[in-house]
Order: sequence, then C-alpha cells, then structure tokens
Amino acid sequence: MIPRFVISRILGLALALPALSTDAVAQGAVGTIQGRVTDAGSGRPLPDVTILVADTRLGAITNAQGEYSIPQVPIGSRTVTARRLGFQPGTRTVVVAPAGTVRAEFALEVSALNLSEVVVTGSAAPTEKRKVGTSVASLDSTIIGRAQAVTVDQALQGKVPGAQITQNSGGPGGGGISVRLRGTNSFISGSDPLYIVDGVIIDNGSGQLADLGGRSNPQNRLADLNPADIDRVEIIRGAAAAALYGSRANNGVVQIFTKRGNIGKPRFSLNVRGTSNELREQQPFNLYPFDAAGLPIQRFNYQDDIFQRAFGSDVNLTVEGGNDQTRYYISGNSAMEDGILRSTSSRRAGGRVNLQQQLSSKLIGNVTANFVNTANEFQAFGEQNDYGIMGSLFFAPTNVDFRPVNGIYPLPPSLGTNPLLAIDRIRNPQNIDRFIGSTKLTFTPFSNLLLDYTLGIDNTGFEQRQFVPRNAVLGTAPLSTGRAQSVYQGTRVINQDGIAAYTWKPVGPFQMRTTGGFNFTSQKVKITNAVANGLAPVGELVSAGSVFAAGQTEVELRTLGFYGQQELEWNDRLFLNGAVRYDASSTFAPSERWQAFPKLSAAFVVIPNQSGTLNNLRVRAALGWAGSQPGVVNAYSQYVTFAQLPFAGRPGFVNDVTFGNPDLRNERAREWELGAEMGLLNGRVGAEVTYYDRLVSDLLFFRPLATSTGFSRQFFPIGTMSNKGFEVMLRTTNVDRPNLQWASTFTYARNRNLVESLAIQDFQSAGGYPNRIRTGEPAGVFYGSYAARNCVTGALLVDSLGRYRRSNQTVDLGTAAQRRAISGGTCNDSLNAVIGDPNPDFLASMLNELTIFKKLRVRALFDGVFGNDIMNLSTRAQNAGIASNSKEFERELLPYGDPRKLPPGFNARTQGIFQYWIEDGTFIKLRELSASYTLDWAPVKRFFRDGVDLTLSGRNLVVWTDYSGFDPEINLFGTNSGGVGSAQTTAADRGFDFGGYPIPRVWSISARISY
Amino acid sequence: MNITRYSRPLALVALAACSLDLQNPNNPTVDQVTTSVDGVIALATGLQGRFATSYGSFAYTAGLVTDEFAATSAALISISDAEQGAVPSGTGIADAVFNSVYRTVRTADDLLTGANALASQFDAGTRSGLRALAFTLKAEALGEALMAYQRVPVETFGVVAPTYVPRAQALPVVRSLLDSAAAVIAATPPSTFFTASILTPGVNLPNVIQMYRARYARMAGDDATALAAANLVARSGTGALSVLTFPAPTVNPYANVTGGPNGIAPRRQWRLSMLPQDQRFAYFVTPSTTLSGRVGAQLDSWNRYANAQAPLPLYFPDEALLIKAEALANQNQLSAAQAALDSVRTDCTGGRGLDDPKACLPALSGALTQAQLRDEIYVQRRYELFGTGLRWEDTRRRNAIRGPVAAPGVPADGQRCWLPYAVGDRNANPNATFAALPDPAEPGSFPASCPAQ
Repeated sequence: MIPRFVISRILGLALALPALSTDAVAQGAVGTIQGRVTDAGSGRPLPDVTILVADTRLGAITNAQGEYSIPQVPIGSRTVTARRLGFQPGTRTVVVAPAGTVRAEFALEVSALNLSEVVVTGSAAPTEKRKVGTSVASLDSTIIGRAQAVTVDQALQGKVPGAQITQNSGGPGGGGISVRLRGTNSFISGSDPLYIVDGVIIDNGSGQLADLGGRSNPQNRLADLNPADIDRVEIIRGAAAAALYGSRANNGVVQIFTKRGNIGKPRFSLNVRGTSNELREQQPFNLYPFDAAGLPIQRFNYQDDIFQRAFGSDVNLTVEGGNDQTRYYISGNSAMEDGILRSTSSRRAGGRVNLQQQLSSKLIGNVTANFVNTANEFQAFGEQNDYGIMGSLFFAPTNVDFRPVNGIYPLPPSLGTNPLLAIDRIRNPQNIDRFIGSTKLTFTPFSNLLLDYTLGIDNTGFEQRQFVPRNAVLGTAPLSTGRAQSVYQGTRVINQDGIAAYTWKPVGPFQMRTTGGFNFTSQKVKITNAVANGLAPVGELVSAGSVFAAGQTEVELRTLGFYGQQELEWNDRLFLNGAVRYDASSTFAPSERWQAFPKLSAAFVVIPNQSGTLNNLRVRAALGWAGSQPGVVNAYSQYVTFAQLPFAGRPGFVNDVTFGNPDLRNERAREWELGAEMGLLNGRVGAEVTYYDRLVSDLLFFRPLATSTGFSRQFFPIGTMSNKGFEVMLRTTNVDRPNLQWASTFTYARNRNLVESLAIQDFQSAGGYPNRIRTGEPAGVFYGSYAARNCVTGALLVDSLGRYRRSNQTVDLGTAAQRRAISGGTCNDSLNAVIGDPNPDFLASMLNELTIFKKLRVRALFDGVFGNDIMNLSTRAQNAGIASNSKEFERELLPYGDPRKLPPGFNARTQGIFQYWIEDGTFIKLRELSASYTLDWAPVKRFFRDGVDLTLSGRNLVVWTDYSGFDPEINLFGTNSGGVGSAQTTAADRGFDFGGYPIPRVWSISARISY
Repeated sequence: MNITRYSRPLALVALAACSLDLQNPNNPTVDQVTTSVDGVIALATGLQGRFATSYGSFAYTAGLVTDEFAATSAALISISDAEQGAVPSGTGIADAVFNSVYRTVRTADDLLTGANALASQFDAGTRSGLRALAFTLKAEALGEALMAYQRVPVETFGVVAPTYVPRAQALPVVRSLLDSAAAVIAATPPSTFFTASILTPGVNLPNVIQMYRARYARMAGDDATALAAANLVARSGTGALSVLTFPAPTVNPYANVTGGPNGIAPRRQWRLSMLPQDQRFAYFVTPSTTLSGRVGAQLDSWNRYANAQAPLPLYFPDEALLIKAEALANQNQLSAAQAALDSVRTDCTGGRGLDDPKACLPALSGALTQAQLRDEIYVQRRYELFGTGLRWEDTRRRNAIRGPVAAPGVPADGQRCWLPYAVGDRNANPNATFAALPDPAEPGSFPASCPAQ
C-alpha cells in the first residue's frame, strides 16, 4: 500500500509556500535532477519518496525502483530533500547546469520518529512537527485504510495515545462512537472534540430524532464520511494545543484532510470489500425446564431468532491525477451493511470531487465537494423498553412463546413488546442527505506572506421516521394505539476562516513568523416533527393516524474569534510560540462573551538527527487555555423564558422551570504539558512521551434552585475538574531486512480525573442511574446501595433466609443503632457509597506489522481498556422478578438440597443493591487482524498496472475480559449530544450496560485494483 | 492582482452575518408574556394545566402510601417501595408532589401579578375571574402540600429561600386565599369571556371555590364555615360536577401516570372491603381476579381512568354532603347529619344525573350516635372519595397511620404520616437543609399518631 498522503501533503505545502525563484523559470535556463533513493539499512529501493527542490515548486515522487526525475529545474546550486514517512529526511546539494542532468542519490535512514511531518492543526499555518511545542497525533490514509473499518472513528481505535475511542453500540453503519481525549472535561458539551474536515467545522451529532432508546445512540454523524477518501487525520488533545480554537476546543480538535489527488496521468482504483458480521457469543438465559412451583415448563432462547449472521459490502472507485497547475481526486462510494440484530441495516452512498487549481502565479484555489446519502433501518435498544428489542429480550420471561399464532404476536406479560413482532413490523428508517463542501483560496502576494481564506458548509437533512403498529406494546398508553412519526432536522454549519502568515528574519540565526486570523461559525438547526397515534389498520405514515401532535424547534449558535500568533525560531533548534485567541459565542451573555485564550509553547531540539544509541531528542513544553460552550440543546440558556403548556385545547404559558442565566459565561480549561520525542538505536526506536495537567474551571451545569419557588435549576458555573496523566507512544522497527520487515507500535495512556470542587451538592448526572459527580472523586463514579458487611470480618451480612442486606433499606438493617449492632461497627452507617468507577486506570494498545517477501503483509492490533468498572444493568433486568430469565435466577428455582440453590427472594433483594451489579470492565480486544497479499504476476499486471491487493481481515475477533455481559465496550449513553426530549446525561456518564446492541465480530475480504 | 477587489466582498460576507445577539425563537421571554393581555390570559391556561399535574401527582402518591393503590410497573422500584410505605428521601416520588405543587403556586402568582399589573387593560369581570382562578388553584395546591408534608412554605413568590411553616400557620393562608376568591367573584362576577374562553370547559368556578372552602374549613375544625360552604356547593345540575378535560393528544395526567407500563392500579382489597351491595366500585374499577402488581399486590383494573382522555373531576359532589354531615354531627345535629349521610348512601343510578360514584345502598336504620356517625362518615369517605388523595388526611386525622406494610402484606388505612421533604428544595434552599428541616419521624408500628409538626 502506498503512503500517498506524504506526497500530496508535502507537494501541497510546497505549492502553498513562497516560491522564491520562480522568476528564474521564466528565463528558460533549466536543467534536470535525477536520482535513486534507497533504504540505508536494507539497500532496497524506496518507492513513494517525495523529492523536493528547495525554493522552487518543483518536486517528484520515486517509482517502484526508487528512481525519480525532475525536469525544468532552474540552474544554479540547488538543495534537494527526500522525505518519506518512517525515514529520516535526506538533503543533497547539487549544481544544475543549463540543459544538463545532475544526479542526487539518497540512502535514507529508517526513523521511528516522524518529526519532519507537517501538521496544520493547532498552529494555524503548516508547520513541521518538530517546531510544535505540543504533541500532535497524526494518522495517514494507510493506517486508516488498513483498519478495514466502516467509519473513520472506528479506524482510529487503538492508534492514538490518550484517546479513549469507544464504540458504544454495535449497530450497522459504524455504531455510535465517542471520542474522549484526555478524560472527561465537561458535563455539558459531551465528550466530543471539535471535528474539522478540510477546514470545515462539521456536525458530529449523535442525537436521534425519534426514541430509539432514550440516550443511546446507534450512530454518530461522522459515519457519513467515507474513510477511503481520507488522506490524514490530525488530533490535538487539549487546551495547550488547541487555544487557537478558543471557546470550543476544551475537548481537543480532530482535523480530517481528504485526498487531493496525485500529479500524473489519471489513475483509477477500485476497491471492493465484502464483510460478514456475527454475534460473538450469546448470553446465558434461564432455560431451566421447571417453574417456581416445580412444575414443568417450556423455555425458549430467543437469541437465535433475534440475531443473525449479517453481510455487508463496500465498493470504492476513485480516479485521481493532474499536472502542476491542476490536481483532482474524484471518488464514488457505496457501502451497505446489515446488522446482526435482524431488521437493522445501514447504507451509505456518496461521491466526492476535490479539485486544486493554480489560478495565477500567486493564487491557488481549492474546492472540495462531498455529497452523501446515508439510509438506515434501526431498531430501538438501550432504555427503550416499550418496543426496544434488546429491552424485550432482557425483560421477557423465557417461558413466553413469542411465535405468532394466526398472525397474532403474543405480548410479554408485563413489559415491552414481542421481539419477533418488533423485527417483523416495527420500522425506524432514517435518511440523511448531506453535503460538505469548501472553497479555499491561497494567495501569496509576496514571497513571505501567505493569505488563506476558507469558506465551508456542512448541510445535513436528516429525516427520521418511526412506525409502531397498533397493539404492538403493552398498556393503554397512546403508544398501544400505534404510532407513526416523521421528524425532519436540517442542520447547517457555515464556517469562514481567514489566515495571514508573514515570515521574516529579523537578525542572524533567528526566524520569525507572525500569524493572524479570524474564524466565524454559524450553526443552525431546525427540527420539525409530526406524530400520530391511533393508527389505521393499514398505513405506516403519519397520515394513517387519528390523533396528531406536532412540534418545531429552531436553534442558532454563532461563534466569532480573532487570533494572533508569534513564532520565533533560533538556529532551527529552538522554537517559541505565543498566541492569543479572542473569542465570543452568541450563547453567552453579552457582558461575559468576549474571552481571551492565550497559549505559550517552546520546543528545543537537543539532538538533531545523528547516528547512535540516542540519535534524536526533542523536548517541549506548552501552556494554554481553551473553553467549551453549550451545544444546541442549551443554546439559549442565557434567556429567562416561559414555556408553552397548552391545556384543554388552548395555548398556555408557564414559567420555564430552568431559569435563565443572564450572566452565562463559558467553561475555561487551563492545560500545561511537557513532553519529549526520542530516536533510539539509529532510528529503530522512536518514543514520544507527554505529561499533561488540565484544570477546567467554571464547569457549566444545572445548579439546583429551590423548587419551592417554582423553578428547579439554572445553567451555572458549578465547579472545577482536573485531568492529569501521561501518554506514551513507542514505535519500533524490530526487523528490517530485504524480505522481512517487522514493526511495532505501542501506546499507553493513563489519565486521572478528579472533581476538584463543587459549588453545589453532589449530584447524580445520569438522570435515573446511580452515579455521582462528587468532590474528591473521579467524575461519574457509581454511587448507590451496597450489600452490608461485617465490619470486622468483612463477610457479607445475610438475613435469616440467606439474602444480602441492602444498605439503604431500613427493613434490611433497621435503625441506626440496630445497624451498628448487626454490623459490629460503623462501616455500614452510610446509606449509599461510592461503589465503582467507570473511568479506566489506563488504555494500552499494540500494533504489529509484518511484511514478508514484500508481498504479504500481516498486521494485528490489540487494543485494551484497563481497570474500569461497568454496571451490568442488563443482567439486573434479567434478574428482575418479572423477567427472571437469567442463569442466576435459574438457581433460585433449583430444588432444595442442590448446592447451587439460592434462597427464594435472593434475586429480588439484589435488584436494589447496585453494588451487586458492578463488574470489572477490563478488556483486551484483537481489534484488527489482517493479511494482505499483492498479486503481481505478469498476467495480472498486464491488466492491472500495480497488480491486485487482496486482503483478508477481521475486526473485534477476540475479546479477553471477565465481564459477563455481551461486550464490555458498549455503553448505554452514547456521545450524549442530546437528542429529542433528551433526558439528563453528561459526558461523565459512562459504564452503564443496559440493553446495548452487541458489537459484532467482523470478517472481511477485499480486493484492490488500479490502472 | 487586485486585492481589494476580491477581499472587500469577502469581508462584507464575513461581517454581515456576524451579529452575536440572537433571539430565542422557541420560547417567549418574560417581558413578552407578562406585559401583554394575551400573555397573561395564556398564563391562566398554563395554570390550569399545571394544576391538573400537581393534583394528579398528589392523588397518585397519597393513594400509594395509604391502602388505595399498588404498582403494576416492572422497572421502577421506587413506586413499589412507596406502596409498602417506604419513600426514601430524594426519590422522584418524594419530590414530585412538592415540585409540581409549587410550580402551580408559581404560575398562580405570575397570573395574579400580571392581572394586577395590567389591571386597566382587562375588563373588570375578566380580571375578577383571573384573580379568583389564581387564588383558588394556589389555595388547593398549597392545601395538597400541607396534606403531604409536615411543614410547608407559603411565601414563595419573589423569595430566594422560602421558609417552612407548620400546618397551623399554613392552613389559614389556604383558607384566606379561598375567601379572597369567593369575595372577588362576589364583588364582580366573572365575565362571559372568562367563563367561556379562559376557564376550562366543564369547570364551575363558584362551586369549586365553595367546595374547597368547605374542605379546608373542615380541616381547620371550623364547622360553621364548613357547613355554610358545603351548602353553597351545587349538588345537581350542570355546574355540580367540575371536571378538567383532556382532548387528544393531551392526556389526563392522572391516567398518564397510572395507565402506562410504569403505572399503578387500585388494590383489590378496596373493592372487596365494601358492603356487597355497594355499587361504587363499578365507577372506579373493572373487577379482576388475576391482576397482580410488581410485588404481588392483588389489583383491579382501572375503569374510570382507563382512557387517557378521561376527564378528571376536581372533586366529587358528595364530598360536600359528607363534610356537611360531619359538621352537623360535630354540632350534635345528629338526625340532620344522618340524613345528609343517607343521601350519599342512597345515591343511585339516575339520582342526580351526575357522573359520580353511586353507592345505591339502603339508608341507615335507626338513629346513630355521634361516634357511630363519625365512623360511618369515615367509611363513606373511603369509598366515595377514592383516588382523590383525601384518604391520606382522613387516616392521619383519625390516627390510623399503621406504619409500612411489606408485601405480600395488604395495608389498611395509611402507612406513613408524611413525605420526606423534597431534595430539590433541600439542595438550594438554606431553610430546607437536613439540619434546618429534618424529615419527620415515621411511626414504626400502630397505633401511631402523626403530630402536625
């Protein structure tokens, strides 16, 4: 596979940077530079090396034999550099004679460090990594492509130290993925970083427009991007690096660049992939053939009917090419995938045109246009117990025969629906039409002045429908009369960015760059919904109803910011950076709105590239501030308003119980980080280490108001929270021989989150779930009832029947005095306690890549989360008296005398003891395993220039964990950006497993051809 | 290259859209509502909506902690805890009554403020109707609060940290609000516009006011006022039954919380404890022999509230007769009291033409003593006023709070004296912290008395 990103990026940079000697070209005095690039270690030729002639716009890329040729080079002494990812750059100086040919040969040393990579994110203008005072993670198209993932965020899993990338559900179309950089930093804005695609801030909302399970999210909108279009991803993780993004950057920034196209003749590639998804393993259910009275009973395992082996396909066709004036990349993509839960599926079809054109000698235009249609068929899961399939599975007794009789589906006795009915009849189709486009003009009026203007738009039309037929759910509520719903959400994000960068040399070894810029973003969301109950016997649209309701919401958020940045370089060794962003958001009170976010950073190259044990060393330090602002749900929190409450068919107003805050201001994060990069053992080992310390103050959340006043809460700065930790990334080249290469990458990240102070009472952040935001504890710890223990021996206290005693139940433990008497001490005095922590102790991953005989590549990625707790509410639901379908409940049914027999009422008692449901959530997943082979026999190459790449791969093939539920990775709360009627959730709410959609094991086979 | 030619339009585009002062198009501001006649009228509608919610919430909870209802729900443990008399501090069910009551009070105060501020813009009859409505619903909401909490705040408007007062201080506030309501409409009868277009169809405000006056006079032991007010409540004709109506898609808040999968249903014991001839069960329930609740309680299905659009009676007209009978009995007018009681007992299909519970029992035989009358009044109140929440106060005032009854035991009378104070208020009101306002002790066993403070 070709790391094409290097070429396009550096060429792009060369074109964008000042061209000092273009005048010489016009004079016609030119020659040619040729040469060959080899790997200094193995001596094999290196393809895909970018060769640039300094101070010109000229360059080339080596072919499979490592050779290149650059014609039309202005005469004179020329410095030529050769760069390739994974190698230290090489430099040669040659003298070009008129009409002559001069050779410049390179033997590049391997380097596990990539400090010569050029990044943009966080530094406003293209900058080499070694000059940046913060850690910037970057991933290229190779890494993304080899993941064989459905979405970009899936492809990033396990590859970015410090990023907890969680697939919260296993549905088709990517599942709902949350990205959390350096812990939980806010309660309001979700955990999501700011996403930017080709300079366009995009919407990564995960809210669903109909109730598909309350706060669960089957898909986040990053799923609309085709991973095959992506050239590279840059990630900055916090305030120190992201100060230039001002009041939105507290959670970090993820910037995605799509492919620009390579110069040359049109090159067509076709990539075809087929996938097969399967449930990794079933959950055990109560299949005991007797009931509580000991009478024989028939039991059923409905997992066989609910889950299926599901297939998917993905076809990508691209054409790219261009010359020194024009470059283009055009792609078409069609992907479809069925879910392992029957009746769910996701389809995505889209196209992209990226075009770059030299408009004049000083002006370059760039246009990107991406249209995509995503069409999903989902089913509710998670909290949705009325018609959610997973809820019905967990809450229904196993003795119910759900098979339809004469077309009538029997309903479960007390809760939910018949899962077979849901699969056959309940429909939740979604249709998303999305256009993301940008126009960028780069103007270099003088050789050392760069002006850049980007106008971007992300326009999404999202339609969600829902059909629940009549008599499909229990109860007399309107839902049992059927429901048809249609919700339309239009989201438009318009983004304008202007940058001016001026490079100058004040004196001697110093070089300076002065940058200024502005950014304006307007995000508009319009939602219209129509719901009908009382459906006709036939018809799935709203018009089939007899009782109607409708609603409409409009929200706009605007952010305006200006920034200035001064960079100072000394001798190409020391790099200082100071900047400030001045930022305002419409969501804040006018008096508090304008905020300054400064940053300072320094990087020093202690040891530049040299050979030896320690062949490279760079140290860096940075300090910066950033903010976060409320999302769309709380956009108007500064206003004191009334709410509509129509009654008896007339319009009515009542005070909004959420009192406005006319002094609302943004959250503010201060972060400093220290780090170093080292090249060891002649570049065979590259290490990157970063320590960070972040303190977020003025955390926004709802402070309680005295409910006796008729209000209940107000959006308010309620406290401070810190995240401290370190990140390590290690790249090693273990074997580098002509016919065998083996490289490894390890990541390790440890984060400690702490709620430092709260101006209000401890509170439960996940409405309805036992967790807490509590001073001195990590955010979102599990807090609730526990099983009382003997204070001396630590043994669990049981009652006369052998059942546990619940800490917050007077019936179990009596008065305070009786409590102490039973306990033999004071250890059970508190009614509730901190009973677990969903925040992991650390994250770690290991990627191994082997190339054998240049044609066979094998890679394996192990990805793990360690030391986090999960509250298994799925099994709790199974144990509820009404369901009694768990293996543990089965033990209650056993005859007396059986050693496994549990006392009657044992499981009823544990329902109320939340500590009982906490499990260790540590897991290691074999996240990716793949083998690729390049078929390049002559007969094949006759048709396909580069041969055929065949890949067999697997995703989430094996999970090592003690967790007993379907999957330790799934989470009840998704990225909590707040959907329809969003119940209270915060970014701190993690670790609840309740009726989640299991993550499948995926096998795929793909073929890639190009000519 | 002409920089200005290109950059100027771009700069204009950039700045034109840059205003950061946006209006909220979804909700009106305080000014938009309180400074316009239409806004204030809309507050009156909102008030009636909130009242329906707070009344439903009170009756629901009171029924659970007495012997009326039990949970059918599968998931919510707090409801089945409450049916066994356990209402831990901080649970939704402990806070719901308080929070919804004080939202009603808030809206009533907003309405009073608006009606006064815009006095000159309303015609006198409309303003009188608005004020009487606000006084009445605020009074009843506070009355429900003092039937659920040992101490309650009464001054809450424009106060950041309301203070809690004992019932002896709160009850006169409730009664004086109702007296104000009566006085306002006596001085200026509500306009046709108010009655036809503001007041919820199906509500007769003068009857409601007198009914509530009688209710709280009885609670205060003011037999004379109770008797006088009860006599003013119409017991036949169109205005005799005031109901809140819920055209689809709105739903009766009472049915909404009781009808869904997390709902409650009447305990079967209520029906089974009646005299065999008593027909009132048919009004409320559909008898069942199989329906059982979350923790095994034997239940009947709802009849009265089975339909989510079922109208919600603000009171049952025979409550006036029962108050009258009680006041008369207290005044030792025993035969008159017995006659009033008999008219409740003998109310039968076709009787007064009202859609209310009908006992169809024979009249009492022989003259009852004062004590016997009081007992009989208590029995009749249990069956006649089912699901109104009044059962709780009745068990409390008769010292019939018997403490929590764990399933599968079947509770009799009341299970707890009060609800724990709302944590929503505790969290922000310095006068309601656990130290300043401890939750009242609950009786562990019967006989217990519930001190008023």
